[in-house]
Amino acid sequence: MATRRRERSYPRIPLWRRARRILALSTVACLLAAAVSYLPAMAEKHNVGIGVSSAEWLRQNGGNSIVSEIENWYYELNAPQKGGPTLTSLPNVGVAVAEGGEDAEPKRLYRPPRVKPLIHPALPGEGVWKPAGAHAGKRPPVLLTSFRSDPEYPQFVAGVAWINANRTRLEYTPGTAEPPEPLEHRGSGEVPPQLRKGLVATFNGGFPLETSNAGLVYRGKVIEAMVNGIATIVEYRDGRIDIVRWHRGEGAPKNVWFAKQNLPPIVYEGKLNPNLSDGPEWGETVNNATRVWRSGLGVDARGNLLYAAANYQTVESLAKVLKAAGAVRALELDINEDWTSFITYRHPGAVEPSNLLPEMFRSPERYLVPDERDFFALYLRGGQRW
Amino acid sequence: MRLPTPASPAAAARRSLLFDTVAAIVIAVAAILLAAGIGVVGFVALLAATVLVAWFGIEATLRRTRRRCSRRRLSSTS
Repeated sequence: MATRRRERSYPRIPLWRRARRILALSTVACLLAAAVSYLPAMAEKHNVGIGVSSAEWLRQNGGNSIVSEIENWYYELNAPQKGGPTLTSLPNVGVAVAEGGEDAEPKRLYRPPRVKPLIHPALPGEGVWKPAGAHAGKRPPVLLTSFRSDPEYPQFVAGVAWINANRTRLEYTPGTAEPPEPLEHRGSGEVPPQLRKGLVATFNGGFPLETSNAGLVYRGKVIEAMVNGIATIVEYRDGRIDIVRWHRGEGAPKNVWFAKQNLPPIVYEGKLNPNLSDGPEWGETVNNATRVWRSGLGVDARGNLLYAAANYQTVESLAKVLKAAGAVRALELDINEDWTSFITYRHPGAVEPSNLLPEMFRSPERYLVPDERDFFALYLRGGQRW
Repeated sequence: MRLPTPASPAAAARRSLLFDTVAAIVIAVAAILLAAGIGVVGFVALLAATVLVAWFGIEATLRRTRRRCSRRRLSSTS
């Protein structure tokens, strides 16, 4: 009689274990695929920490809304308390008048009026303009001031710079990585050494193109299509600078040398934008009411530029700072402590760089070495002395 | 018609692993194609990896603890 072949029993893996195994294997595969992009990006030279670089990589690779959401949670958890003791003194900005030049101004030379403080009584020197550079003479190219930015938060100080449009020329400088589009004359992402003799100040640009969803014209060429209704810093071929609400369609007229857009205007025709609350027109970024480092650029009634920056600002409080300083049109520039910089140079040749506010996170040497982000440089106009 | 039954438990385990690996690759490719970018894929995968590592870790710890307890019980009764 043939022996019946014993039936073998094969141990069955429970279904949930198989599902977990499939999940683990697919997770490994996804991580490997992401590493192919992430590791070379991190291996490049950066002038920010790996955390910030990783966040930027995530923004550039489809994760902008994730980064913004995490930022919103973080800033809301760390939101400052209202009120509290007020300051007794302001940070030192600019140089003393004796060092900066003569105090007595001939009446024909324009100087912006003192900024009316938003909190009373005013602190010593609050809203008073001081020259940024030493021996700046009777017509300093840049004046600096500081004042408390928000009556509900009396500890926070805004730094503001007034830039004499007749003495300076503004130049947009691409960074090493921003804008990401190929550019014919990108440069090295720093202030060119041969131009540092006449360098007066440098300051941050706007949001990266991928998050601003707005346009860029560089050296007369449209790099990214322009968007109507968006606040635009424009440099014309005759050297004039203005801030406008763009209405010329996707292209740019021939007299535009440079144009950079960033969100709707926050001040226009001397008034605050009535729609400073969140909405799709403000892009995928930190909520407008979230208090973070913010910066903005404005233009006064005479066409001079105004730059403002402060920590723990909303879009509305930043707009009020620029309006208080005299801006009739203004736009928000970049935000967060890693990206806001306004640097002046006390002596010709980019000597003794100094941040507008001492608590600004980035080094004052920032734009004297290659930087990933685009920025603006202010030079004395041709033939002018320091 | 049925698939040929494996000759041994080891072969069955290997075939099961192969099927699961193919399924994982298909899922990963679908995720990469459908996601907004590789950054989103990497971020979600990192979160999943954190949860899985914690899960495996807790399971292994519990298994070790149970083995130690049962060994103690056996040595105390003998």
